[in-house]
Amino acid sequence: MTPRNFTEQDLHLALDGEMSPEDRQALDLWLDNNPEMKARMGRFSEDRDRLRAANAHLVSEPIPERFQRILTQDPSAPRLRTSWRQLVAASLVFALGAIGGYGVASWRQSPLAPLKAFADSAIQAHDMYAAEKLHVVEVKADQRDHLIGWLSKRVGVPLVAPDLSTQGYELIGGRLLPDAGKAAAQFMYQNADGDRVSLYVTREQERAQTGFKSIVEGSTRAYYWMDDDYGCAVAGVAPQKTLLSIADSAYRQYLAAEIR
Amino acid sequence: MDDRKKAILAEIPRLRRYARGLARDQDRADDLVQDTLERALIKLDNWRTEESPRRWLFTIMYHLFIDQMRRTSHRAEQEMLPLDSSEAIGEPAVQLDSVAALDIMDALQAIAPERRAALLIVGVEGFSYAEAASILGIPAGTLMSRISRGREDLRARLDDADRRRNIRVVER
Repeated sequence: MTPRNFTEQDLHLALDGEMSPEDRQALDLWLDNNPEMKARMGRFSEDRDRLRAANAHLVSEPIPERFQRILTQDPSAPRLRTSWRQLVAASLVFALGAIGGYGVASWRQSPLAPLKAFADSAIQAHDMYAAEKLHVVEVKADQRDHLIGWLSKRVGVPLVAPDLSTQGYELIGGRLLPDAGKAAAQFMYQNADGDRVSLYVTREQERAQTGFKSIVEGSTRAYYWMDDDYGCAVAGVAPQKTLLSIADSAYRQYLAAEIR
Repeated sequence: MDDRKKAILAEIPRLRRYARGLARDQDRADDLVQDTLERALIKLDNWRTEESPRRWLFTIMYHLFIDQMRRTSHRAEQEMLPLDSSEAIGEPAVQLDSVAALDIMDALQAIAPERRAALLIVGVEGFSYAEAASILGIPAGTLMSRISRGREDLRARLDDADRRRNIRVVER
């Protein structure tokens, strides 16, 4: 038998059971004379065992009820989520307004208590920062990725800063805000005329589904909605049609970002 | 429950293990399982019932996972993770038995998602190269390169983790 030569690739083939018994035998003989390769293969094998051991318990655990339900229940039943999706499904609040736009107030009368609370904070935050000249945002849009990553992490929601260029608005940056003991994110947008728009995001516990709703306070109009357990509000002095278009665009972009 | 659903139910433990390897974080991994099951139920007719649903389900999960990773990296969340991802703020506690298990899961998360999936499918789930290539939708040659590079990456990460721990011990 002519001694064959083996390569590192063969180590993987052998480990993964992709080698004929004859080849495997020849490899083992070869490895006896190639201690370095033998050690390497031993190491790969050891790492694989650790990998197998790490989550082995999951295979013997009983199947969580959550998953059994999916298979037994009516598919149209409301879905339960733990993290990610639920994180996406945090409350989103869109507050939109020209510089110095005012408008809050009559939210208090709304039957949508949870929505109202965060919408209220969103509008206050908007009024506070949209009027700023120098310190509108904490992190500017030139650090967009960092901004989104940072706010996502702090708020606990994979955020999206929607592209509002169709409506003529550009992201200028964002900031982190406190909201009833939670972290909230605010993204600020501005158009060519200097009118500003802000997107405010917090996580909410409650779930509801609403269509777009609208309120007008002074010269400011707001559109807001809730979907699953997140809500959005858009407010501003921009024309009603523009506001609705922005609200619709943001709504769609957040939906698109949810994991299908 | 019909036979098809029973067969899918029987795969859930393996799907959970696979998902936990892919996504690590328990909630994210279980969401991935849920997404997979929901998708499978919608596409039940795509499954040829004469074979086990395993490969089909693993294929669905892999594609959902990769979609998710792409979105995540668009949002640049990846770079926000500190090197030692077990120390990431806000990451829910993982229940693992030992430091060794923690290290291997950290190392696994640090390697490219495509390589991670290849290592899990072949090394943990025990699919053949042909099955794995079909699940991942890649040629056999690509699969082999993902496996060999993945194992190299994993080894390097584990060695790094060992070194870091030794340094910490010395500092004390």
